[in-house]
Amino acid sequence: MANQSLSEQLDKIVDALVARPGAASSRREPKVGASLRPLAKIAAQLRDLPAQDFKTRLKLDLERRTSVASKPAVATEVRQTVVPYVCVKDAAAAIDFYKNAFGAVEVMRLVGPDKKIGHAEIRIGNSVIYLSDEFPDHGALSPQTLGGSPVRMSLSVDDVDAVAGRAVAAGAKEVRPIEDQFYGERSGQFADPFGYVWNISTVKEELSGAEMQKRMDDIMKQGGFPTAPPAVKPIPEGFHTLTQYLAVNGAATLIDFFKEAFGAVEAFRVPRAGTQLIMHAQLRIGDSILELADATGEFGARAVANILHVDDVGAVYQRALKAGATSLSTPREQPYGDLEAGVKDPAGNQWYLTAIRKTGHRTEDTRAILPHLSLVGAAEFVEFTKRAFGAEEASMHKAPDGKVVHARLRIGDSILAVGEASDERAALPAALHMYVPNVDAVYAAAVREGAKVLRPLRDEPYGDRAASLQDAFGNLWFPSTHVKDVQF
Amino acid sequence: MKDRSQDAGERRLVEAAQKDPGRFGELYENNFERVYAYIARRVGDREEAQDLTAEVFHQALANLARYEWRGLPFAAWLLRIASNAIADSWKFKAREQGNPSSDEPLSPDIDMEDVEQRARLFRLVTTLPDDQRRVIDMRFAQEKSIREIAKELGRTDGAVKQLQFRGLETLRDQLAASSAKKSTGKLASKSGGQNG
Repeated sequence: MANQSLSEQLDKIVDALVARPGAASSRREPKVGASLRPLAKIAAQLRDLPAQDFKTRLKLDLERRTSVASKPAVATEVRQTVVPYVCVKDAAAAIDFYKNAFGAVEVMRLVGPDKKIGHAEIRIGNSVIYLSDEFPDHGALSPQTLGGSPVRMSLSVDDVDAVAGRAVAAGAKEVRPIEDQFYGERSGQFADPFGYVWNISTVKEELSGAEMQKRMDDIMKQGGFPTAPPAVKPIPEGFHTLTQYLAVNGAATLIDFFKEAFGAVEAFRVPRAGTQLIMHAQLRIGDSILELADATGEFGARAVANILHVDDVGAVYQRALKAGATSLSTPREQPYGDLEAGVKDPAGNQWYLTAIRKTGHRTEDTRAILPHLSLVGAAEFVEFTKRAFGAEEASMHKAPDGKVVHARLRIGDSILAVGEASDERAALPAALHMYVPNVDAVYAAAVREGAKVLRPLRDEPYGDRAASLQDAFGNLWFPSTHVKDVQF
Repeated sequence: MKDRSQDAGERRLVEAAQKDPGRFGELYENNFERVYAYIARRVGDREEAQDLTAEVFHQALANLARYEWRGLPFAAWLLRIASNAIADSWKFKAREQGNPSSDEPLSPDIDMEDVEQRARLFRLVTTLPDDQRRVIDMRFAQEKSIREIAKELGRTDGAVKQLQFRGLETLRDQLAASSAKKSTGKLASKSGGQNG
């Protein structure tokens, strides 16, 4: 306790010291008790403490000046006017990769006290590239954190096939295979492990701009570019960012229920080998997809809630009851203006049947299925989704005590609804299949923000790169990117 | 009172940097805190101290080839440059503000002992345990409030004050220990006219 009050007293002294700017000559230390006097004296001197980043910046500046002076090979060359300055996660590893893949030569590197690379220069062929580690405080973020880079690197070499082979061996991934291009180059695209895509090319024919234009016009006249094999869509046709994934006991029965009650159309089902159970099924309801499976040890049966937008609440309500649902609430106008009814399907999932005001009018807010999450700690959940998934608040209604009554979050092109669980509304977390173009970045951000890894990110045999995560609020997330089309 | 082997080491560093300016970094590392401490004590604000410190090292680098070893510490040469740079900046300011009276505000004396002591303190900050160092750096060099630091580090105000207290205690103990050991490496207290 004595220590506590000493630290308080000392802080008052420090406060007085740092609050009073002015020339050194006019500085005077405030009155202090004897026990704190030596510390106060040190504190007074620390007002002149140099900022670490200034020391590093000045060193960098001096090194740049000296590297010009001390390296004749560099000094005699014309210094590149424009230099790409790339930010990467783990700059040391990136430099190694560029050495192995592209024969880069390291010109210099500056390492900070935290072992991070504040600045490095490498040379590939006759070009210099600057690199640094991530420094989020200074806005230096890598493509892995940002979810991709809009800038593509173009690497011109004598033998594209050899260089690309070396790059792939070093860890690059083919994005577009090497082909002869109409503009006289043979080229392909390769993604490095740090989020940059390299267009690697070799000039085969020296063509003028006019000649290239003529070739392009000819191709267009003949009906456009020969269609290359269709590129893999990272988000498969029909999917939006978020899709509710049900794990139930009795998936086959439930599919029949959805067909009868909600007019679901079955896209396909994959049985679990040697059983009647469903490993994975995909249904379409209106403009939404619903996925479901029979529960397993890993993905146990759980009830979720969804808003189901329909044109005729009364009719769908009646059909649902007839098909085996139980009623949660009869169709009625809600205080917030919606005509709504509630049913529980045979597996216990809740569906809030909500009328669409204008028949046929659909926005992302009124897609057929909109996941509805009741959570303990909904406000914290909202913040989590912002940090982990870049969610935005589409709407937010809070009670006077700060609890979320009803919020709508936009994640990618999807909306989900969330409210605080209460005595009347039990906690019902969701299980959300999440299709994104850049699953590695999304996965990294979610894990960074505390999501628990149930199954780490990996390439699945069905052609997706996917993972299973659980957040602190009980929701399951299956972030995925479709990377390969697979025939079943 | 001078340590001969230390002199010899520094001399070798200077000569190496004269041959290969790429080696200047070592001289910079050894002397940054001294130069900064000297300047910061004489100019009021941080930005000006930084500008002048940068100017001193730029000048030193540019004139290194002309530096001749005459047995005085390299720091003395740097502080002379610093002293001139400060004087120039004051003259410039005086002219700007139409106040020609403050023509020679600088004492020609350079209190090396004071500079050494402050430089040692600044270097000791970098060796503090991580959490103490961050608090000291944010509080003094970045001039942040306890509240701001607590928010940034995700700790309570009380915990940050404790870290500040412990950091200053550590510095006090280490200063005492190093000044007990370090009565030899002291620089001469007057370093008026030499290379330059």
